[in-house]
Amino acid sequence: MSLLDVDGISIHFGGVQALGGVSLEVHRGEIVGLIGPNGAGKTTFFNCVTGVLKPDSGSIRFDGHDLLPLPTHARAHLGISRTFQNLQLFGGMTVLENLMVAMDAFSHRGMLADAFRLPTARFEERRAQEHAWAILHFLGLKDRAGALAADLAVGHQRRLELGRALMSRPRLLLLDEPAAGLDNKETADLAGLLLRIRERFAVTMLLVDHDMALVMRVCDNIYVLDFGELLTSGTPSSVRQDPEVIRAYLGEGVA
Amino acid sequence: MNPATVRRRGLAFVAVLALGYPLILSDYIRGLAADGLIAGIVVLSLVLITGFVGQISFCQYSFAALGAFTVGSLVGGHHWSFWLALPVGVLFAGVTGALVAIPALRLSGLFLTILTVAVALFFDRYVLAPGTWNSFSNGNANWDVGRPAFLGLHLTGSYAFYLFALGCFTLCALLVWNFRQGKTGRVLRAIRDAEVAAATLGINLTAWKLAAFGVSAALAGFAGAIGAASIGSVSRGSYDLVHSLGIAAIATVMGVGSVAAGAAGGLFYVFGPEILRHTPLSTQWFNLITGGLLIVQLIVTPDGLVPDFQQKLGHLLHHRQAGVGTAPDTVGAGPTAEAAAASEPKAATEAIPAVRRP
Repeated sequence: MSLLDVDGISIHFGGVQALGGVSLEVHRGEIVGLIGPNGAGKTTFFNCVTGVLKPDSGSIRFDGHDLLPLPTHARAHLGISRTFQNLQLFGGMTVLENLMVAMDAFSHRGMLADAFRLPTARFEERRAQEHAWAILHFLGLKDRAGALAADLAVGHQRRLELGRALMSRPRLLLLDEPAAGLDNKETADLAGLLLRIRERFAVTMLLVDHDMALVMRVCDNIYVLDFGELLTSGTPSSVRQDPEVIRAYLGEGVA
Repeated sequence: MNPATVRRRGLAFVAVLALGYPLILSDYIRGLAADGLIAGIVVLSLVLITGFVGQISFCQYSFAALGAFTVGSLVGGHHWSFWLALPVGVLFAGVTGALVAIPALRLSGLFLTILTVAVALFFDRYVLAPGTWNSFSNGNANWDVGRPAFLGLHLTGSYAFYLFALGCFTLCALLVWNFRQGKTGRVLRAIRDAEVAAATLGINLTAWKLAAFGVSAALAGFAGAIGAASIGSVSRGSYDLVHSLGIAAIATVMGVGSVAAGAAGGLFYVFGPEILRHTPLSTQWFNLITGGLLIVQLIVTPDGLVPDFQQKLGHLLHHRQAGVGTAPDTVGAGPTAEAAAASEPKAATEAIPAVRRP
């Protein structure tokens, strides 16, 4: 059974069709790639899955739940987490706080428990801290724990966003161009990191990126978008050889 | 000295000063100090909404008016006990704050600020208007509230009431401090920094914004109610837009991310005009001076005077230790992180905890 089942979603902005009947399936444990030229609708697709945008038609099911009526935060509670193409860190907060707040979002305690430092608050605070340190350790960011997120280098910021998305132990991780702004070596490290994350956290991933080397290396399945429509899909090797994909996206030299 | 020791000694010094110094002051100055601390609670309400959530509110004294009027009407008009009327006033202000925040959910930044101006103007023109006032108060110019008794002590003496105001302020400051250190502070600041990201992490933006506005308004209402006891009566003056604007400007000057700025802002708000009274300048210069300070502060120290001062003092006290630079009380770099960075738990070096789902 597929974990994420998107069936024919369409969305228009004014007269422009951003997505036209896109269907996509992600199975448990897979890393699925979503590629396509700029403006193909990849980020729009992510926004539909996370609830930032509402598609005009089509359906999105996650683990048997119909996602469309649910607001963004409720989808997160089902186990969907994401990173952003333009980093969306909490810049005025420390690295450690950026991670802890992702765990806070899943705790049920309200302002009253904080106001009087009730035992639950102290217990959960400690647990969030320990979990955040474990993530920092995993990502190799321990020595930056007290720094403001805004002060980190871009490579570290990308890592932190990834870590923040992992804090809530998601079942599906949506990665929006995680390699943007990274150099070749950092991108190679990222590929290794993504594979280790899948192993360590048992998380399924949907990955949007421009970097072909990264997508081809880590993905089990690839979907190709062009002008809001699905061009083709398949394994990395079949997509690489698809003449239409080569023409539309990869360009002459790549094949 | 490590930062924790510095902070502890600093707090002890402030406590001794706050308790002891008023003993040698006149009744009049003690009364002003109490009013300054009460205004400080209004500044704290702004710390919550502006410092954490990043929204500017120009109607905090309208909420204070709700607290004051409830207490005035119940104690002065219906002979309730002050202690019963107080929570009713706080609750009324808090609920109204949350209601005002409902349209605010769709607005942000400048538009939300304008909405708060509209709320303040509504209070000025309607609720505080003589006609409305008289129909509520049966034609009396003011409600007599008097001074309440606290644990058998009648708070009529100036020092006793000052201590009471100090206790109220400390309680509110502790609340805001605990919010800042805990989940509440992180969640609200996350909403301030990146709203969409906060929502995709699972934070219910609506619920948290309403709660923040409600608690902020409740704090302001609390200040209004205590203020009514301070004056001993409630009249319709002193809750208008100009007061709300003034306190917001002072909160910004002092540093709206800082809990200590609450005390500094409140005392400045009350003692500023008082000092001007003894100079050739008249008290009318106060707003002009505040405005000038605001401009200078925004250019020189965007975080506000108090966090800047704390940072400089911190550097001075332990300048030999390298790498300890963050301000002890600013919203951004909290001591939670500092303390945590210093005492990383053992668990970090162990494996990631087991995955919850199959």
